[in-house]
Amino acid sequence: MQHGKHQSATAVVAKVPGGKHPGVKQPRVKLSTRQKMERAYHQYGFPLGFLALPVVIYAIFVISPFVQSIYYSFTDWTGLSSDFKMVGFKNYDWLLHDDLFWTAVGHNVLLLLVVPLVTLGLGLFFAFMLNVGGRSKKNAAVSGVRGSSIYKVVYFFPQVLSIAIVALLFQFTYNPRNGALNAFLGGIGLDSLQQEWLADPKLALWCLMVVMVWCNVGFYVVLFSAGMSAIPKDFYEAALLDGANRITTFFRITLPLLWDTVQTGWIYMGILALDAFAVVQIMTVGPGGPADSTQVLGYMVYTKTFRDGQAGRATAIGVAMLIVTLIFAVIVGRLGRRERLEY
Amino acid sequence: MGSTPDFGRRDLIKRSAALGLVAVPSISTLTACASGGDDGNKVDKGKKSDKNPLAVNESAALDVVIFDGGFGQKYAKDAEAEYEKAYPKTAGKVKHSATQKIQTVLQPRFNGGTPPDLIDNSGAEQMDFGTLVAKNQLTDLTPLLDAPSVDDPSKKVRDTLRPGVVEMGQFDGKPVWILYYAYTVYGVWYSKTNLEKLDAEYPETWDDMLKVCEKAKKKGIAGWTYPGKFPYYMPFSLYPFIAKIGGPDTLIAIDNLEPNAWKHPAVKAAFEAYYELYKKGYILKGSPGLTHIESQTAWNQGKALFIPNGSWVENEAKKTTPKDFQMSVGAPSSLDSSDKMPFGTIWASGGEPFIVPKAAKNPEGGMELLRIMLGEKSTKNFVKQVSSLTSLNGGTDGLSLPPGLQSAQEALEKAGTNVVNPRLQDWYVALQKQQIGVGALGEMMAGRMTPAEAIKKIQKFADETAKDDAVKKYKHA
Amino acid sequence: MSAQAQPSELPGAIKEDEAPGAAGKAPGTGKVPDFPPKGRISSEGKVLNVFSHGMLVLWGLLVTLPLLWAVMSSLKTDKEIFTSPWGLPASLHFDNWSRAWSKSNIGDFFLNTVLVVGCSLIGTMLLGSMAAYVLARFEFPGKRIIYFMFVGGMSFPVILALVPLFFVMRNMSLLNTYHGLILVYIAYSLPFTVFFLTSFFKTLPSSVAEAALIDGASQTRTFFQVMLPMAKPGLISVGIFNFLGQWNQYMLPTVLNTDEDKRMLTQGLVQLAASQQYKGDWSALFAGLVLAMLPVLGVYIVFQRQVQTGLTAGALK
Repeated sequence: MQHGKHQSATAVVAKVPGGKHPGVKQPRVKLSTRQKMERAYHQYGFPLGFLALPVVIYAIFVISPFVQSIYYSFTDWTGLSSDFKMVGFKNYDWLLHDDLFWTAVGHNVLLLLVVPLVTLGLGLFFAFMLNVGGRSKKNAAVSGVRGSSIYKVVYFFPQVLSIAIVALLFQFTYNPRNGALNAFLGGIGLDSLQQEWLADPKLALWCLMVVMVWCNVGFYVVLFSAGMSAIPKDFYEAALLDGANRITTFFRITLPLLWDTVQTGWIYMGILALDAFAVVQIMTVGPGGPADSTQVLGYMVYTKTFRDGQAGRATAIGVAMLIVTLIFAVIVGRLGRRERLEY
Repeated sequence: MGSTPDFGRRDLIKRSAALGLVAVPSISTLTACASGGDDGNKVDKGKKSDKNPLAVNESAALDVVIFDGGFGQKYAKDAEAEYEKAYPKTAGKVKHSATQKIQTVLQPRFNGGTPPDLIDNSGAEQMDFGTLVAKNQLTDLTPLLDAPSVDDPSKKVRDTLRPGVVEMGQFDGKPVWILYYAYTVYGVWYSKTNLEKLDAEYPETWDDMLKVCEKAKKKGIAGWTYPGKFPYYMPFSLYPFIAKIGGPDTLIAIDNLEPNAWKHPAVKAAFEAYYELYKKGYILKGSPGLTHIESQTAWNQGKALFIPNGSWVENEAKKTTPKDFQMSVGAPSSLDSSDKMPFGTIWASGGEPFIVPKAAKNPEGGMELLRIMLGEKSTKNFVKQVSSLTSLNGGTDGLSLPPGLQSAQEALEKAGTNVVNPRLQDWYVALQKQQIGVGALGEMMAGRMTPAEAIKKIQKFADETAKDDAVKKYKHA
Repeated sequence: MSAQAQPSELPGAIKEDEAPGAAGKAPGTGKVPDFPPKGRISSEGKVLNVFSHGMLVLWGLLVTLPLLWAVMSSLKTDKEIFTSPWGLPASLHFDNWSRAWSKSNIGDFFLNTVLVVGCSLIGTMLLGSMAAYVLARFEFPGKRIIYFMFVGGMSFPVILALVPLFFVMRNMSLLNTYHGLILVYIAYSLPFTVFFLTSFFKTLPSSVAEAALIDGASQTRTFFQVMLPMAKPGLISVGIFNFLGQWNQYMLPTVLNTDEDKRMLTQGLVQLAASQQYKGDWSALFAGLVLAMLPVLGVYIVFQRQVQTGLTAGALK
């Protein structure tokens, strides 16, 4: 992005340092007011016209509800009637002293760290296997495994299913009595590994993470695999010749070249992980349990708004969620400052 | 994604200024809609007559939302057909919808001032009554209660109801905000057949209970199961058990959130008795992870003898119940001879809470539909369809009741005046379900918490609720 | 995109007939065998091949088994589901499917969803690419604010906005309408679309657009006739993201679209699932799940090539 310092709206943008957009602006000196306006129209008319509709729709349906929500977080709104008053920072004070809130924050942070990491890691791993793991052929230093297109199709399956459906499916899978998982473990003689899964506070959150990872790995396999197949084979060949092994080629060639894609995926996964609402609501004991072991901020917003009629507090939690996300985005942004390679 | 933009102080200032600009108009929209809930959109009242005591507008539309749960929605549709028959000009104007997502569907409508005319506010996602009442969102149902019954014009609706129903609908003082349509008997549910197979009877004392469970265990059958996913089913048999041991005041103190109410010795005795079921291995394996349906199904299959439940279970489990199951409900067994209340003490109270919103367009219509539902014809239809009692006292004459309902009726007769009615689940949903249920009882029954720890935790939760000024408080009269 | 800046660690020389010796293990799994001298297909190559096939098959099973299990359960009786979770059904109970189908109006909901998602997808792509193009290639006051406003939207938890959004919709008489839902879907898809496409447009070479402008084409025409076709790969990728997101959207329609006839597929399914849970009709519940999965899986299998090329193009930027 350009570091354009914008002058006030009436002034003509005379020069943009390092301007990369020729055909858009030509520097000029000394203009009459009318000319200035014409130029301003000429210059900004097109961007304005193109932006107007998206910005208006976005402002009405996204920005304004969110700003209203932030306003509500300073009220004692119940969510059930339009009768409420301002209470200052009371909801935030409650929040900071609520044990459940901090438990939920902890779980959200864990989800934010683990789910994207594991999903993207597995995605990269399988994509690498698909593209580079094959038996070597004549004339090719590296080659994909046979049937890689079938894998890509199959792996993508969970991604096209609604999360509500997936959550429901896994709820049955985890069922301790006749769920597929325990039945399977029993069937292959591993009875000792049978667990209560979602009913065990030590395992429940991890069970949810498995579902979130299960859903999304396929998408990143396809995405990364596409990226990898676009990396010229010569790079690998050269590296291999140079004495590098496949692991080094992965970290020295594949990963740096895919970094942008990984970063986009990271942000996307992070947002998904933060919103663990559907899996918590559909799958867990309580929901949110056992013993609050799967409480997350999204579900708390939901229960406070809808079950307890404390929408003021709920919106305060929502604002906290926003802050967690922003911190996450800043961290990912910093990771993105890594040196980039181009080809 | 280009290079990372450099966030400067200037940008921050600019951005916050922009936010301010966006914020101003949206707050004004907000105030505009805050004042939206006026009464100007009500339908005109109709002409009052003997046949139309509530002065229902005879041609106005009616908007009904039913909770589509264990009882389904057909009973309500049938009653709506009766309504259309009574007011032929409304034909085709009764808008019926059914959902399990009461909150998400209706909450915005309340906010927007366009709620339906009659709601069955029930299920796991019911709206909080405390808030609805506190925020003056409901219509007082007194006119309905004082109207003549459909069956006998000489009797008021109020006098045809089962004892306790009207009181349950009151929160503070006179107005009656809720009418509980179903009448639920809670307790320990079992299959007579399965007990007979073990050569046992329903245990009237806790010692016998343990003996029966031991006997079952030897045959590879569990004594108890429960919906561990929703551990707030435990209280259905546990709370009357506490009342039986310590007297009704123990429960009233608990409902009133009195300090140290949970420290009462009766609570400890009841918790320890239940904990023993876990310690002796009488609980069906996997129960902590089961939903209500899953645990009921295991119980239907004879994998466990007892389950804490309410009388809706007979209808809910209809599909999985064997023909010769002989479903029955038992009152909590006696712990010992010092129990304050006799064997037979049971929890029975209204279920399926119906409300008429204050901002409803046609509140008279909503009440009239309830009046029709409380008539004998609709009641019998309900009893037949979903095998549950209604709040209409009687209404079962001439019907052959299914076994579970029959036993519930007998249990009620046996209990006489020893009926308790704990209110925690209507008054403080978060406390009852999430904190006591999932946070403590579920943990104790799964063996991860001792009774002493559970009590300590529950007392802490109760104290927090008592202190929280965002939660409206209620007291037993 | 341009081929400059070769990674320094890569020597330029390439030799034919080089078979790589291979690390016998996956990245990150410990021991790394030495790179063998140049030569024939090495045994390590085979080890790697076996290993990678093994891992790939394992994940393939992990993905397909739960789905197959659901299909199998949907053809069983309730009793079979409970007594032998992995057993094959004694006979195929397709009546479960018809029960689920007739109870849930899945067919109607499917059409509703196609209509709404189809329109919102077109709208999202059009408006999103217009905004992104301007934000990527023009300088004007307030540009960064607008960009951050859009991108910041990615971090808003939707649940926070639900009730105020309901008011906004009600005041504009958009509740329970298809066009209202379409507008909302578009609005909530814009952040990611703008974020993704802005960076995509930045990577496109400007020479073609310049040439078009010099030839006298208007900015608008340049955009639609030159830039959009060039951006097609990026559009397809983000289109796939958006399609999946909108198709599976549950929260927004639950609150904003309560009219029973206008339900989206996800609403209908959750409704079906919830009511089957209360009624204990397990086999129909599994059947409903399968009915919901099959069409989407079918559509995916038919279009999987396009989906993958779309993603490929996106990854190439």
